[in-house]
Amino acid sequence: MKHAGDQISAYLDGELTRLEIEQLQAHLSSCGKCAAEIQEVQTVRAAVRSLPMLELPAGLVAEADAEVVPLRRNKGFWVGAAAAAVALIIAIAALVTPSSPSIAIDELNSRYGARASLDPAFGPAKLVVPDLGEVLD
Amino acid sequence: MTESVPLTWEEVARIYGRKIYNFAYRLTGNSDDAADLVQEVLLRVRKGLSAYQPGSFEGWLWRITRNAFLDEVRRRNRRPTLPLPDEVDRWDIASSPSADVEYSRISLGDDVQKALLELPYEFREAVVLCDIVGLSYEEIARAVAVPVGTVRSRIHRGRRQLRESLT
Repeated sequence: MKHAGDQISAYLDGELTRLEIEQLQAHLSSCGKCAAEIQEVQTVRAAVRSLPMLELPAGLVAEADAEVVPLRRNKGFWVGAAAAAVALIIAIAALVTPSSPSIAIDELNSRYGARASLDPAFGPAKLVVPDLGEVLD
Repeated sequence: MTESVPLTWEEVARIYGRKIYNFAYRLTGNSDDAADLVQEVLLRVRKGLSAYQPGSFEGWLWRITRNAFLDEVRRRNRRPTLPLPDEVDRWDIASSPSADVEYSRISLGDDVQKALLELPYEFREAVVLCDIVGLSYEEIARAVAVPVGTVRSRIHRGRRQLRESLT
């Protein structure tokens, strides 16, 4: 058997199969180099594992929780904005849809309603139609 | 340590917050960086929990943790100043209520911590996930997305380099 190599760490970490353990132990009994290495690796492993587990700084989790609040606010903002947009569309639709069966207003709305909904200067409450030369309230 | 039952965000914070903090501290040697990472990981967990598919929760969590850490390293590498391993802000540590106790505990491990920071990142990460966090080779392989054999090799080579640094 060649030198144990990374099987040494796997052995110390309990990551070898029973067969692999038996083979490694047989090798260690006849290989001074690997026997010495396992002692060295075991010492280093123990040193790292003896590093103190530090406490989580106080308030850290609460701060992380607080970080989420702006996200919630943003979500609320977009829900509100979407609702306002829907309300606006309904309002415009109500304005450009004739409430009385006036053919003239129907025609004007179909021609200028869309523009009026985009341009404040063409507000449907006071729609100026240049080619007809009149103002409709 | 396979967990198939989805946890709440609060449970994740309570059960894993300290481990994540220690993982980050041992990788960076810096308490502020470690605290920042814990917050970032908890935020990512909170956003991702609803989409979490039952399976290896540990693998999922440590993958998030590792990605958050690497993202932060990349972000800092674009900035001119980098916190060096030996620039641990001991004054901040000394200002906490249990300062003396905590400081002495850190000092005891200074040589080991310094040796850890001298390891190539892949070795350091594997050693920390194994010896500090306590993951199995299989769990580390899932978190890091490499074969188990690679994990085994990285851990052993990392320990051999640690030994050379410490002697």
